[in-house]
Amino acid sequence: MTIDFVLNGKPQKTQIRSGDRLVYVLQKLGDFPSLIPDCLGGNCGRCLVFMDGRLIYSCLTPAFKAKGSSIVTYEGFSATEDCKDIIYGLKQASAFPCNFCRKAKIMMIADLLKRIPLPEETDIMEQMSIVSCPCTDPVSLAKAVLLSAECRNKRKFKRADK
Amino acid sequence: MRISEIFYPNSLGDLLELLKANPELLIVAGGTEVVGMQASKSLSFPAQIASISHLPELQKTTRSEQYLEVGCCTTLSGLLTLSSGALPAPLPQVIQSIGNPAIRNTATIGGNLCCKRRFMDLWPFLACIDAQMEIRSLHGNRWAGVSHLSDDAGLPQFPEASILTRIRIPLHAPNFSFFKKLGNSRFPSPESAYFVCMAEISHDKIESFRLIFAGERAFRLKDHEATLIGRRVPLSQKDIQPIVDYYSAEFVEKTGNDNYQFNALTEESLGRISGQ
Repeated sequence: MTIDFVLNGKPQKTQIRSGDRLVYVLQKLGDFPSLIPDCLGGNCGRCLVFMDGRLIYSCLTPAFKAKGSSIVTYEGFSATEDCKDIIYGLKQASAFPCNFCRKAKIMMIADLLKRIPLPEETDIMEQMSIVSCPCTDPVSLAKAVLLSAECRNKRKFKRADK
Repeated sequence: MRISEIFYPNSLGDLLELLKANPELLIVAGGTEVVGMQASKSLSFPAQIASISHLPELQKTTRSEQYLEVGCCTTLSGLLTLSSGALPAPLPQVIQSIGNPAIRNTATIGGNLCCKRRFMDLWPFLACIDAQMEIRSLHGNRWAGVSHLSDDAGLPQFPEASILTRIRIPLHAPNFSFFKKLGNSRFPSPESAYFVCMAEISHDKIESFRLIFAGERAFRLKDHEATLIGRRVPLSQKDIQPIVDYYSAEFVEKTGNDNYQFNALTEESLGRISGQ
């Protein structure tokens, strides 16, 4: 069957089979190095995408559910100011996720800050369970989230100069 | 890979017609339960699937003074984002124990309740607070207690050619609650189970008492719950032990298992009611 949806801002029309996982369908539609599913069980986070603004595991999503939706991969998200804030926060906190999970962790932080602009420690710890890779110590990562939040909130909620 | 036919009904009426024509139709809202169980690259589904998460009538949330009414396609994250105080305690805690935020962005309340192979996190809690569900079929709609999702033998059941459309959650929950999730898996596994004990304590007296343990089977002693009403609290250890022994013996008889965790949790919850 054919489904249409928007991928990183561009309309797509593609053929799928009923048993296709979304991540494999997306992989066929372009060069997306962030989408390399490893576990197919919602653990590694290497298939995270935003679907209609919500972070989901595309390996756990049947492709037919994408019909009519808007999907953003890390490649689409990386050009945004929100992504730059997160990269800034990670650098400032000296939190350097490994190549295996870096993009997934950036998507994970982006989702948290979108939902909770000023997250508390419990929110951060809970969000970290989305990506299982233990390469970064939780304290540095939590610091990075707070620095990213500060940077993002300054930019988004800056008061107009008098 | 078997190719299934996929339907995107435009309305609830369309969905019910589809269900009548295809009794084996698999209704998918979030899909986390059916996909989470499969480890292969390609997914396997029955011959016909209906995707329903786009139907607006199944996502509505309304609130009255006494109830919160949510559509079956409301995601678990969606429930958590309702204003604070909109959910009775400890429902937010129960929801937060499910998967992680990315899974809760996809999983729905309807999917959590309608799992055919076992009970999942929300059922024991919603049954304890007498939540109601709306069941629709081509013959009409009816409201029934969520507890009816368990048959006499404690196994999950759901009426044929029907769909769960709305869940009505009472906003007032008993003033004592104790909830424990067993098992260590992100997705329900054979060792996953949920223990919920709730009681209304007023003027040092038990006004209502509920205790449910659910996994692949549900265990509840409604008649025995009634015998605890009117008891004075705090209960002494001498009062608690016979209750624990009774529950333990019934548990063995009904489920065929001697579950140490169940016995310990029963004792723990009764102790907490007594402030021990």
